[in-house]
Amino acid sequence: MNMPEQTNRIFAIKTTSKQERTVADNIKKVIDNGDSDVKVLAIIVPQELKGYVLVETSEQMNRIEQLVEKVPHARVVLHGETTLAEVAHFLVPKPVVSGISEGTIVEMIAGPFKGEKAVVKRIDTGKEEITVELYESVLPIPITIRGDNVRVIDKGEDR
Amino acid sequence: MENVVASSRKKQGHVCRECHRVVEGEACAVCGSGNLSTDWTGYLVIIDPERSEISKKMNIKLPGKYALKVR
Ligand SMILES: [Zn+2]
Repeated sequence: MNMPEQTNRIFAIKTTSKQERTVADNIKKVIDNGDSDVKVLAIIVPQELKGYVLVETSEQMNRIEQLVEKVPHARVVLHGETTLAEVAHFLVPKPVVSGISEGTIVEMIAGPFKGEKAVVKRIDTGKEEITVELYESVLPIPITIRGDNVRVIDKGEDR
Repeated sequence: MENVVASSRKKQGHVCRECHRVVEGEACAVCGSGNLSTDWTGYLVIIDPERSEISKKMNIKLPGKYALKVR
């Protein structure tokens, strides 16, 4: 793909605790209402990034600071801009099965086998599912469950 | 960590499983899908899809509110 030179900047805005999505909505509101003419193109609120939102803009930092003054629950702009490349991983969030590999010993934390230990046999990253076999079961029946329904107990061989 | 999980599980709106758009009502206004989810994380507000590189990366053509990740 022949992408043009990247010109947009990304700034991080600090927010009041737990108000990340509210701040994103408020930024949109302020711009939609015409209360600010600062050009924000998009706002990312990654689940992993507590207390911040990321704004994509064609403007300089001082303009984003002007914007922040008008946005409820937005506090300050962090010094220094970042690039799309640096935040791209937030756009493809890490699957919940990451950190689990074949042979990992896990404990079921939800579902009918809650509390049972199991060994991971297979991982389907795309569907965020893992197939496990119960550890202490006489008949090792494979069970496919969501990757966030387990807690890692032992990383196994590739520690 | 428990707080993080709790806050991510709190009541939230529906999003479309097809296009990840936040949906008001019974079906997605964009793709018409009724395949909705309340199990989603991350949030994205697209204001100018024409000029946003994030929109291009996410292949989003319309302004609006989206989930980053939907189950
Ligand atoms: Zn849709």
